[in-house]
This record gives sequence, C-alpha cells and structure tokens, in this order.
Amino acid sequence: MNFDTVIEMKGLKRFYSLGGETVKALDGVDLHISRGEYVSLVGPSGSGKTTLFNMVGGLDRPTEGNVQIDGVDISRLDAYELAWLRCRRIGYIFQNFNLIAVLTALENVALPTVFAGIPRDEGLKKAEKLLQSVGLGERMNHKPTQLSAGQQQRVAIARALANDPAIILADEPTGNLDLNTGTEIINLLHGLNKTRGLTLVAATHDLKMIKASDRVVWMRDGKVEKIERG
Amino acid sequence: MTAEERRVHLSYGDAFRLGLSHLVRRLDRSTLNVASIALGLSFYTSLLLTDVFYQTHAALGGSRLNVEQTYYWLVAIALAVSVVGITNAMLISVQERVKEIGTMKCLGALDRHITLLFLIEALLQGIVGGVIGYALGTVAALLTTGFSTGFDIIFKVPVIQTLMFFGSSLTLAILLSTTATLYPAFRASRLDPVEALRYEL
Repeated sequence: MNFDTVIEMKGLKRFYSLGGETVKALDGVDLHISRGEYVSLVGPSGSGKTTLFNMVGGLDRPTEGNVQIDGVDISRLDAYELAWLRCRRIGYIFQNFNLIAVLTALENVALPTVFAGIPRDEGLKKAEKLLQSVGLGERMNHKPTQLSAGQQQRVAIARALANDPAIILADEPTGNLDLNTGTEIINLLHGLNKTRGLTLVAATHDLKMIKASDRVVWMRDGKVEKIERG
Repeated sequence: MTAEERRVHLSYGDAFRLGLSHLVRRLDRSTLNVASIALGLSFYTSLLLTDVFYQTHAALGGSRLNVEQTYYWLVAIALAVSVVGITNAMLISVQERVKEIGTMKCLGALDRHITLLFLIEALLQGIVGGVIGYALGTVAALLTTGFSTGFDIIFKVPVIQTLMFFGSSLTLAILLSTTATLYPAFRASRLDPVEALRYEL
C-alpha cells in the first residue's frame, strides 16, 4: 500500500450520448499515481486518454466513480474550488501549446499568478525566473507568433509551473514538435519531474517519452489494458 | 487551508490590462466597433447640440429654427444598428477566442472573470467611441448651425451647456457598447473548457 498517493481513480466511468448512442469514453478505471511519479498514458485515439485527463484536471465530471487528488474527491468541489484546484495544484501542458496570442511570453507565464491573486510584481518576477529556467530569458517580451514551436512549448511549460503545482498534466506535449525539439522538451519535463519532485502525467505516442517514464499505462476502449514499469 | 483562501482572483487592474491587450492586438476589429459607436453617437450629439445652438441663435434675436422630428427617429435607428453591429462583432470575437477562453479556464479563470474581460473591452470601446462621437457631433452641429444662421455662432456657443452634453453622450456610448456585449460575454463565460480546448478554428 502506497501512502503517498497523489491521484487516485476509483471505478471511473464517463459516458457520453452521441446521436442516441452511449459512448463509453471511460469504462471503469482504477489507478493510483504516487507523488513524484512520471506516468505515461498510451493508447490509440479514442481510448479515453483525453477524457481521463479532463477528469484528473477537474475539467469534466465522472458519470460514475471518482477521482481523488490529495485525498479529496474532486467531484464534490464547487466551481470556485475546482477553479482553485486548476489554478494552484495542476499545471496543464497542451499539444498546441495554447498560449494567449495577445500576451507576451512573460505575460503568458504570469497569467496563472494573476488568477492566484499573487501581486503583479511578484508574479512577473516569478515568471521571469521560470522563463530563464527553461532557457528563454532573452525572449521574454516576444509574442507567441514570434517564437518557434519548441520555444512556445517551453513558455507553456513555464506557465504550467507558475503556481508551483504538484501535478503536471501534459497532453501529447511533443505531438507538434520535430524530433530534436521534442527530445529537448522531454528532457526538460523529465528534469522537472526529478528535481522538483513534480508528479507528471503525460499522454503520448512518443517512444522517447515512454522510455523516460516510471510507469506506462496502456489504455484501450476506456479501460486500462496493462501497466508496465518504464 | 480554509475555504476562504481557496479562491481564485481577477482584480479590475489585471482585467483592465488584459482587456487593453486584446483591443490593441486586434486593432482592426476594435477600431470598427469604436467607429460604429462614434458614428451613431456623433449623429446623436449633433442633433442635440444643433438644437441648443438654434436656441442660442433665437435668444440673440434670430429666428427660431427647429430640428426636424424625423431626425430623432433616424438617430434611434442608427444607434440600434450600431448595437447590433457590435453584438455581431463581439460574437465573432468570442468564436475566435474559444481556445483562449478554454485555456484561461484551465489556468483558473471563473465564468465571471471571462464576462468581466469582455465587459471591460466594451467599456473601453464605449469610452473611446463616445469621446470621438462627441467631438465629431459637436463639429457637425456647428457646421449645420453655421450654414443656416452664419458662422459667428462659433463665438457665441454656450460652452457649459455644450460640455454638459459630453457627459450624456459618453454615458450613452458606454451603455450601448456594454449592452451590445452582454450576450456575447455571457456566451463566452459559459463555454465548456473541455469543448473549448478541442475546438479547431
């Protein structure tokens, strides 16, 4: 029994009705993820990876079962508490980076600190440090369109770290990057996982990412097919 | 950690900064919105001020001229058209920003923070449109009066009364702009982040 479970899914189900038919996006998932663990979620598209992400990220509610984060059943949280969870406890990294186009790299990274209620100066200082730590100290005042894909993903990683979350959820973080840039991003994420003790959950098809992880969870048809040590 | 501490925030200052970034970065659309308000408002201001200047002219011994009643109907229609135009432009703006809104919700934004961002944009557009509209309207009123009574009216303008209309013009501009944005802002705030992030333009 692992006492330091940070994410726990119990009998997690999520059904959608699509044109009168019930789609079982998640069909009974039980999974424990420990603090500081690096877990890769692997499976064909439609296997439920993204739905699982949305559940853990507090973006979607289960049809049945529950997700606990730090022992709290997040389906019991109200809108304010969920927003707080998304803001302070979880960092999101997306395949398409999803930076805010009208804001500079620095402002993008500082944005989560705005919602966290951190004073502006402090938030910007923090953002500056984070951008330096991902190697973008020279490009802080660039807009996303002035940055390469790899640089944009670095900004997104810095943004995900802005409020010192315990969990990083990365949905295909290397999916839109070339091989070399992808490797850099993987090394960066892996380093953060090791040095900061961040729990990293990444949906991926990338063999390099899978190799770097502690555990690989294979999904199929909304169920966990098998779990392997990385 | 108490419930009170587990709150997310968006101060008016930060919302203002974010709103301004949007307006500046998407200058073409915000300029059109501002122009739409400014044109409607300039028509409105010019009618009211022309009437004021006609009164001044009459008080100085000239004949009493009147603004045709039909114009008031036209101005009401012009303002309504400008509201519909802004609503349309803001709805398109919401559609363009679906992913961005979804991302903001992921980062901790509440529904009402999204509403606030859109309303602040409306407020800023209203202010700029109102100021420009008032200025244009004043010039138009001076020209209208000038052509019918002579341009010496420019030196006899009742300054305080004229400036008082600035307040009402500005208020009306802000009111129209925010009213036009209520529905788009509501739509934006209700976006489901799961759907929003999956959305492809």
